[in-house]
Amino acid sequence: MTSKGNSFSLSRRNFLKVSAAVSAGVGIGLGPSLLNLKKVSAAESEELANNLGNIEVKYTADVMCPSECGMEMWVQDGRIVKIYGNDSCPFNDGTCCAKGASGMQLVYSPERNKYPLIREGERGEGKFRRATWEEAIDYIGSKLTDIKKKYGAESVIMDAGDVTDRDHYYRVFHGYGTPNCVEHGSICDTPRRHGPKLMLGGKRIEPDVMRPLLVRQPDGSLKKDYTYYSKLIIYVGWNPFVATRINYESRGTVGAKVENGCKVIVVDPAHTNTASQADLWVPIRPGTDGDLFAAMLRYILENDDQYNPLRKYIDWSFKEFSVGWDEFEAEFKSWWSKIDPINGKPYFSLDWAADRTGLPSEQIQDIAHEYGLTKPAALVWGMQSPGHHYNGYPCSILGTALNIITGNMDVPGGAIDTELVKSDKGGKAKGSDFTKRKVKRLIDGQEVEAEIEYLHMDWYGDWPAAWDDVVGDYPRRFREGVNINYGPFKGYKYPIKGFMIRTGNPVMTGGNTNDWIDALTAKDGNGNYKVELVVNIDTLYLETGMYADVILPEASYAERMSLSDVYPSHQVLWMRDEVIKPLHESKAPTDIMNSIAKKLNKLGDSDLKGEDFWEKYKTQEDFVNEMLLPAPGRNHAGEPIPYPHLPLGYKLLGTPDSLEAGRVTIDHEKKVVQGEPVTAEWMRKNKGVAVWPMSWNRFKIFDKEEGKYVASKAVAKTSSKMFEFTFSGYNKYNKLIDETGIIPRGLKEIGYERYPNTFYWFETKWNPYTNKEYAKYKDEYPFQLICGRVHHAMTGTQMVPWLSETPVEGTWMPLNDAFKHKIIDPNAKGELEEVEKEFKAGTFCVGTIAINASDAETMGLKTGDLVILENPLGSQEKGKVFVTEGMRPGTIKLGFGTGGRFSPGLGPTSKHKDYTPNHSGLVDPNAHSPIMGMPCYADMIVKVIKD
Amino acid sequence: MPESKPKKYGMAIDVRKCVGCMSCSVSCKMENGVSFGVFRSWVNMTEKGDFPAVKRFYQPRLCNHCEKAPCVAVCPVKATYKREDGVVLVDKEKCIGCGYCVVACPYNARYLSDTQKVADKCTLCDHRIDNGGEPACVKNCMGKSRIFGDLNDPNSRISQVIAKNPVQVINPHVGTKPQVYYIGADFNQKF
Repeated sequence: MTSKGNSFSLSRRNFLKVSAAVSAGVGIGLGPSLLNLKKVSAAESEELANNLGNIEVKYTADVMCPSECGMEMWVQDGRIVKIYGNDSCPFNDGTCCAKGASGMQLVYSPERNKYPLIREGERGEGKFRRATWEEAIDYIGSKLTDIKKKYGAESVIMDAGDVTDRDHYYRVFHGYGTPNCVEHGSICDTPRRHGPKLMLGGKRIEPDVMRPLLVRQPDGSLKKDYTYYSKLIIYVGWNPFVATRINYESRGTVGAKVENGCKVIVVDPAHTNTASQADLWVPIRPGTDGDLFAAMLRYILENDDQYNPLRKYIDWSFKEFSVGWDEFEAEFKSWWSKIDPINGKPYFSLDWAADRTGLPSEQIQDIAHEYGLTKPAALVWGMQSPGHHYNGYPCSILGTALNIITGNMDVPGGAIDTELVKSDKGGKAKGSDFTKRKVKRLIDGQEVEAEIEYLHMDWYGDWPAAWDDVVGDYPRRFREGVNINYGPFKGYKYPIKGFMIRTGNPVMTGGNTNDWIDALTAKDGNGNYKVELVVNIDTLYLETGMYADVILPEASYAERMSLSDVYPSHQVLWMRDEVIKPLHESKAPTDIMNSIAKKLNKLGDSDLKGEDFWEKYKTQEDFVNEMLLPAPGRNHAGEPIPYPHLPLGYKLLGTPDSLEAGRVTIDHEKKVVQGEPVTAEWMRKNKGVAVWPMSWNRFKIFDKEEGKYVASKAVAKTSSKMFEFTFSGYNKYNKLIDETGIIPRGLKEIGYERYPNTFYWFETKWNPYTNKEYAKYKDEYPFQLICGRVHHAMTGTQMVPWLSETPVEGTWMPLNDAFKHKIIDPNAKGELEEVEKEFKAGTFCVGTIAINASDAETMGLKTGDLVILENPLGSQEKGKVFVTEGMRPGTIKLGFGTGGRFSPGLGPTSKHKDYTPNHSGLVDPNAHSPIMGMPCYADMIVKVIKD
Repeated sequence: MPESKPKKYGMAIDVRKCVGCMSCSVSCKMENGVSFGVFRSWVNMTEKGDFPAVKRFYQPRLCNHCEKAPCVAVCPVKATYKREDGVVLVDKEKCIGCGYCVVACPYNARYLSDTQKVADKCTLCDHRIDNGGEPACVKNCMGKSRIFGDLNDPNSRISQVIAKNPVQVINPHVGTKPQVYYIGADFNQKF
């Protein structure tokens, strides 16, 4: 067998060495390595720090990526000197990724926003003058006051961005009177969360591989359990080893594999790092994961035989915990006799799926059979599959159904909806109550009075089912304003006049880049910007900041307090602590919130009162203590029973030790067990982490009278509190349609008049292989374009040089041209300082275009060649190809947010903007997934033009 | 108490658990203040096979702290030395930056530091292990692929893991007796 493989050697002599790899066998016959038995405690780590000198150990939460792992930072003379994972935090169990470890190069980056800035040139020119905080807050305060008087507070959007610690910003803008307070989550993979939300009331289904777990033992004690139970994990378009949103899936996946013989299948058009440790890589055609799931479900339903142990796929007991299966099944089966116009085959059959997914029919059958038979198993899908496609909804609905009917939901080693079992937090801190205030608006000459929330631009506008709001639709809102279609304010129109963007970087990641730039720079007939106020609050100076009128420097994640916001397998919470004081003139969110509130109050806005802001939250800790009040806030459920001395089904509140010791009051009427409230002080005394006990089977409970398991109704957050195969979650939106006759834009696009009651199916956009409308493009645009997170190079961390030294998956490779730049680098003493460096070609990682080796050969391309990608809309992006066998032919992959980075705040990375591709430059600005409005990041086709 | 053997430090790396995240590379730079362009700890990667039968292999690397370390033998000023516990170190006061050791190392583990003008390489985080800790690359490893410990203590985790699994060292034929052991590695790969 020949090989065109690439090798990357990172020794000091050859940063990038490309050589032919030779064939070889794979190691077999190895036993468990027992590596998970390692139990280092945080206390040991503190002793080490003490021995090494005058070091203070602080426990905090990361924000180098949204995984927000529990961290241990060492501080010496007020400066962070070391960063490790916190051994007391079971989410990451003491581990820390490359990005987490490189945090000092962000905190001490010379490219940070250091002081407030006010724009001097045109938006986008990047011309600012240094301002004082007073000046900047004055500017913002008077503009906001003016906008509220002229257009109403709803004309301001507060987008609290991509990282955590958002509640402060929600609070002050809810207080100001706008319901339009949103976050980046609305443009990140909403279709993949849709199925779990609709059917379980949850969000993220992940495998049960977080270890250790704190588990109640038969002898009554609580112990850390390191045992893996998983036997099969299928990751579909989900690459946890690189997009490490869920830290434990790194050690947990390989841990389950080595310690428990778990099989791992990775379904992805790209050979990801996760695929590198999988037993099977299934290179599916982009946008057809739902097709695979549909074929799996059909195969399982057609071939399930309860009397044949080799075909006993379905665990029918699921019907005890579910509503609506019969309707779902009937609707699903009704498609079996229909013929798909694109291939003439009956829907969801193996042949149909083989044609559409580009996978052999036998392989699809094998996957369905293995998944049906192997228990416990978890079917897990992610951002890069349903998350980024127009039709990701049917996919995530089918995936959820598969996990339920095979009996894998919440069993040991199965699939956990982490949204439903993580600790509650936040509570009243984000100020949602303020949106219950009533306001008056004039509609067609009539004064209407109703609650502020009814002015929400999405929920009562074009996107009623947008649970997470629709950030990707902003360019349209900025240009056209908001039409309220539903609710008491029906018929009301308002413009968007203020855009507060805190972290996040929508110009590069919120949909089509040019569309955003156009919207942020659009002017009215008088030459004034349509959006009158754009404020960027961020630690870093990213592209969106270049279009701001005012930039406020926010304290970095090491300089502020809040709570982590992540997805563990049970209630675990850890605190972000102020490790060092805010650097430069940056301020923590609590201070920024209070300054804006105080200023608005001073300018006469009585909606913002001292008692709700600066008098209530004198310190960051006051705010965090409020956020901690609802913790853990989940109903007592599952096996082994977490607290045998406390009643099942009751909501638990308070510290783990108070619940354990029974220092509680029990309200039997409200079914609440109240222990001692969790506080920041309690967290600090406990290495920054609160861990409540794990249990499984939380959706069910054994009914002794009936002698069988029945629904616990304690965990699912659907209206029936059971698994729902009929979608009552849509009822309230259908009611709005019934009341008004107005069909939401997205629904109309897919030919529906109401949100469907049960299983539904529609095709994705820009896919010539599954949607007949696009078949005509197949020859001229032979490549499907996909994207994926490059963990080392997310939109806000590319100024970190250490991460530019480590290649990732072919989409982040040392293909730079020679350049010079000042970076932060260790000096002779090992301390970080600014130095001017010369970088030779091939020494610095940049965003690339990953392309299959045979495709490249056909076009005469080799790694490093410059090409132009052009889509049918005429948009182009330029970049260097990286040739690999690890891409499905006819597919091209770009890293998300890695190319075309034009903000000087990106430091050395901004030097490569002209030969690195910006994936968002190729996204269709008019393609928004029809239920929740997310940009369709992975629905596009391109041709490759040699430069 | 029975007299215990002197310590002999080493590392085991279970390549089946390497997730290719590069935390070891960056954690080492963070821990030891290693400047841009050089590494004390790094991961080689190679891709093998034709689509769709393709596989990416990882080879996490660091100084092998060889029992018969050629870098020690060639050093003209005895700056490079092997401690009793097996850790190979460079005395930066003595080192004249001649680079003999850099050339002599069969594992490319050494480099001449631009900032310090001396030979530099992995120290197994001696400052940490001498105070009861483990090297930073082990501490932060995302896949828990690395184990550090005393090879002379039969009850240490590293000894137990090595006893229970077939292990290999890189290029044993060069005869330097490396003390970094690999589990589940495919050494037929060329990195």
